[in-house]
Amino acid sequence: MKENKKIYSVPFLEGNKVDLCSINLEHVNLYTKWGNDPDVRKYSRNIIPWNLEGVKKWHEHQREGVKTNAMFEIWHKEDKKPIGTAGFSDINWFNRNANLYVVLGEPEYWGQDISPEVSKLLIDYGFKELNFHKIYVGIYSPNKRSLRTAEKIGFKYEATLREQIYIEGEYVDEIKFAIFKEDWLSSK
Amino acid sequence: MAEKEKSTDESIPEAFPFIRGKTIDLCPRNSKYAKLYVKWKNDPKVRKYARNVVPRTLEQQKKRFEKKGERFRDHISLDIWHKKDNKPIGNLGLGHIDWINGWANAFLFIGEPEYWNKNIATEATELLVEYAFNELNLNKLQGGAAIENIGSWTVAKKIGFKLEGIQKHSMYVDGKYLDVKTHCLLKEDWLERKKE
Repeated sequence: MKENKKIYSVPFLEGNKVDLCSINLEHVNLYTKWGNDPDVRKYSRNIIPWNLEGVKKWHEHQREGVKTNAMFEIWHKEDKKPIGTAGFSDINWFNRNANLYVVLGEPEYWGQDISPEVSKLLIDYGFKELNFHKIYVGIYSPNKRSLRTAEKIGFKYEATLREQIYIEGEYVDEIKFAIFKEDWLSSK
Repeated sequence: MAEKEKSTDESIPEAFPFIRGKTIDLCPRNSKYAKLYVKWKNDPKVRKYARNVVPRTLEQQKKRFEKKGERFRDHISLDIWHKKDNKPIGNLGLGHIDWINGWANAFLFIGEPEYWNKNIATEATELLVEYAFNELNLNKLQGGAAIENIGSWTVAKKIGFKLEGIQKHSMYVDGKYLDVKTHCLLKEDWLERKKE
């Protein structure tokens, strides 16, 4: 019987149903699977196939010096396994803002309020530890579930970029939401 | 008196002003001036308090231009360019930039002693401070200098830096241990001062 490698992850941000952990290259197979899964990549806009070597290389060659992204693994506490990735991309230290993203790679965990929990952990982290001024997201108009989640968390509508993205044969809008440090901290 | 040479003259590298001042501009460093930079780094009068205790060679200086410049970096360096005399006379910048905690270490030296005591360091530091607070969006600047380096903390006081602490025996200069005064300037204090 194949030796069962013990999967472990080190929590960096602790939540209720999930923890956010540092990226673990032992799970690179999962990262590759999620990146290619048609249901998952539909709204994460991954249009080019990811191969395992490419994913490994990308993680290994993360830039030295000041980082412009912060990536985490979403670890499901009860089921003891990674179920997605999330974090900040396009961090701009002059403007003190960043793009928030959440990718739940295992569809059986959709619709369980995990995405809002992950987002809140990241928003807290972004404002209280990384000293951001503003956190923004871009959500595509067909992605109704995520649009609802954004408003539930407290993101406010900012702008609609019309026919910005080409998904499955049609141009769709990208809708920008944002949240500011003062609003977030005063609402707690 | 000789006319100011045109910038199309190949022997004078072009200056690309990044921040404009009155007597001086702040410009990016230029590898064509590597020899001059090395002269400053090695000049005993200049390096005494700049703490360059190991000689720097021309090759080492040139190598510093080979690295690709990242946008978000922890060190920003600018040349002090004398407008009338059309040449670089020193170097300043920010080191140990800590973006999350919002502060950086400010440094400055004037490599040509004939430009000392002319208020140039004050003008240059003011430009640097404005850049750090208004463009880089930092919250605090720190500067440290040996107590004997009178020029340094005269400038600091003029701009509004306040004494933060004294680091005992932090520098070894000419056979003696010297104490280092650290000064700091907070953005909110700087804004207050500007109002007055």
